[in-house]
Amino acid sequence: MSQNQNKRKKKFVGTSLQRKLLILIFASAVIPAAIIAISLYYLVFNLLAYQMGIPEFIAYNLLPVVHKVNLIIFIAVPISLFLIWLVAIDLSNRIAGPIYRMERELNARLTGEKSGPISVRKKDEIRPLVEKINKLIQKG
Amino acid sequence: MFRASRYIKFKQFWILGIVVFILASSPAFAKDLFKWFPFTRKDSLGEWQEKIFKGRVLYSVYEDKKSGYLSAYSKESASGIFYRLTFNPKKEPMASWRWKVVKFPDKKEGDNSSTAWIEKDDYAARFYVIFPGITFNSTRSLEYVWDKELPKGNIITSPYFKNIKIIVLESGEKNLGNWVYEERNIYKDFKEAFGEEREPGPAGAIAIMTDSDNSLSTAEAYYDDIKVGYKNEPESE
Repeated sequence: MSQNQNKRKKKFVGTSLQRKLLILIFASAVIPAAIIAISLYYLVFNLLAYQMGIPEFIAYNLLPVVHKVNLIIFIAVPISLFLIWLVAIDLSNRIAGPIYRMERELNARLTGEKSGPISVRKKDEIRPLVEKINKLIQKG
Repeated sequence: MFRASRYIKFKQFWILGIVVFILASSPAFAKDLFKWFPFTRKDSLGEWQEKIFKGRVLYSVYEDKKSGYLSAYSKESASGIFYRLTFNPKKEPMASWRWKVVKFPDKKEGDNSSTAWIEKDDYAARFYVIFPGITFNSTRSLEYVWDKELPKGNIITSPYFKNIKIIVLESGEKNLGNWVYEERNIYKDFKEAFGEEREPGPAGAIAIMTDSDNSLSTAEAYYDDIKVGYKNEPESE
């Protein structure tokens, strides 16, 4: 199988399993990161404000820094979320894609449309499972 | 059996200890007693923190046989002295002090340019009551000032931050060189400055500042007999 053939054409197969995995991966990356980022944001600025004490000093020295940081966050957050979303799609597809494909291939063999072993990509996580199913098919 | 019950008692003891610690360290429960700063000793400023903004204002305590006072001399500088304390402005709303302005900063009179606001933010004498918020940008502050130009009784918002309200307590040169006594109801002033619907949280600090950094001039003022966190009648001293 060539490199191109080995690549999955569809990144989103649209199964409920992939949707669940996608949400799980996305949420498990975004939620802890958001909690840590928000905590650090407030911890650092609250500590600095506590040290500065007098409100004018906070407003003059700290608030411009806060505005700059907010601007960076405003730009960086959508980009980060988009990148996490892409990674989550890829990861979910690596698990859900082969299962979806195996289900299709098994259906095809059950209905008699196809015969012989199910082909599987080298890097697929479920390769050992497919190999065992192929052995079963060969026995049958 | 005996060990298990002892373990439970030990565990309960620790849980109780943690709860007491959390409650005691919470600002809502923390309470300092009525504070009085007479500035009678040279080391009276030992418990105050200096906060430098632009250059250093010379804060020093002058003592004589009868009493003492705090002197502040600013030369193109802005720094304040800051004291952390906690009191409930609803229960103990009063604050009082004496102050004397010796020299006002030389501000440009009648300047209405867009930068004039900041340039005019120099005051011979300021007294702050600071209300820390949950987050750094929710801190609020009342700032009592003695200014040469601004009309007495005016409440204005600081050019630096909307959460700082400046209350003009004294105006003009009429009392220049004289001690003036002030007594304020912090709770009422907070309501007037920030709106009736907003309740102040516990006050977390007081501060004093004399500054002349924006006007690039000099200013001098004295402060004395600062009392905070008492009810309408001052407690016995």
